[in-house]
Amino acid sequence: MERVVELIKKDLIVDWRQQNPITGIMLYLTSTIFTSFMAFKGLVSVEVWNALFWIILLFTTINAISKSFIQEERRSLYYFFLSKAHEIILAKLIYSFLYLFTISIVSLIIYSTLLGNPLINHGLFLLNLVLGCLGLSAAFTMISSIAFRTSNRSIMMAVLGFPVIIPVLVLAISNSFKILDSYVFMQIQGNLTALFSVDVIIIALTFVLFPFTWKS
Amino acid sequence: MGYLLKTDWWKWLCVTILIYTVVGGLLFPVPRLNILNETIRVLHFHVPMWFGMILLFLSSVIHAIKYLKNGNMNSDVYSSQLAIVGLAFGILGILSGMVWAKFAWGEFWSNDPKQNGAAISLLVYLAYFVLRGSFQDEQQRNRISAVYNIFAFAMMIPLLFILPRMTDSLHPGNGGNPALSIYDTDSNLKKVFYVAVIGWTLLGFWISTISIRLTITKQKLEDA
Repeated sequence: MERVVELIKKDLIVDWRQQNPITGIMLYLTSTIFTSFMAFKGLVSVEVWNALFWIILLFTTINAISKSFIQEERRSLYYFFLSKAHEIILAKLIYSFLYLFTISIVSLIIYSTLLGNPLINHGLFLLNLVLGCLGLSAAFTMISSIAFRTSNRSIMMAVLGFPVIIPVLVLAISNSFKILDSYVFMQIQGNLTALFSVDVIIIALTFVLFPFTWKS
Repeated sequence: MGYLLKTDWWKWLCVTILIYTVVGGLLFPVPRLNILNETIRVLHFHVPMWFGMILLFLSSVIHAIKYLKNGNMNSDVYSSQLAIVGLAFGILGILSGMVWAKFAWGEFWSNDPKQNGAAISLLVYLAYFVLRGSFQDEQQRNRISAVYNIFAFAMMIPLLFILPRMTDSLHPGNGGNPALSIYDTDSNLKKVFYVAVIGWTLLGFWISTISIRLTITKQKLEDA
């Protein structure tokens, strides 16, 4: 557990010292939101607001999480001798979840400033956002560890990631639309549980399968 | 899979069943239902494709797990060739489904959750082959693609079996539309359908044994 904390701390320090990637992602996010603000000006219904928000989050995730193993290329042998595979993946999962959740909060703030804020039930929306981010970050961390071994990484991230992420995305979008449509917790409890169980499946698979992509 | 490669009695069984399926499926009397009419016969050809696809993908995943366990090259050949044949079955399934949907629902593609799920599961395995193509090192290719095979198959389960049940669908068996259980009262359909599933699945495994042999032979020639 100590090593997991150390690895998370290391990721934080790397991101803090090398501010290029995080600034890049934030700028990417802002410009995507601004472009959609220009394109959709005046015709944003609640449905469009919701779908657009998740689509922007999806594309930002692909770009944000893809770095999680690619940046480790030169260091991977060093970690291989230093710590066990499941410690590394646990640290990566926690870190990429925190990273993605921060991004999604920033994105929600910018997005609702520019395109309006139809949110009624903030708590429930955030709960669904947390579950969605958990699934997105875990699935793309796993995909990133696969894509990191191939020769054309950036394309592989999208090609391998999209089909796998669709269950999470479909559930998250339909849940958040229901939340915007002023459903209460009792009515969407089942759907939130379904989303959570898909997250659990992804995380469990990542734990089992990651050691095989790591030792090479 | 090793057993299927050694024996061949099941090939005779497969031929017999498929002759029976084609003749019986096209000629036996079927129940007269509104809209469906004769198109109900697609049951013997479209539905077994999906059963076959799932079984082929499942055994592909089982061999991927075996590969990760023992690192035997043959397991990887089994796994990839079964996935190719499964993909072919899936494409046939989606095409036959689209032809049927044109007559029953009026459109080739009506954005039905079942149709979308089917299309996405094909995308998964197309991505699997793209992944296999993008490696230089053979061992690494085998291991990483086995990992993706397992990961993607496990994600296909909620996509195909859980999500369509949470939304309305036009497909038989969803949203109050009748499916197999109501046809069970009609013994003529049942007589052909269950056998047809076995026959088409056996055909899928037959094709994969041929392509497995071909791949292994090619590898031996390369190494020699």
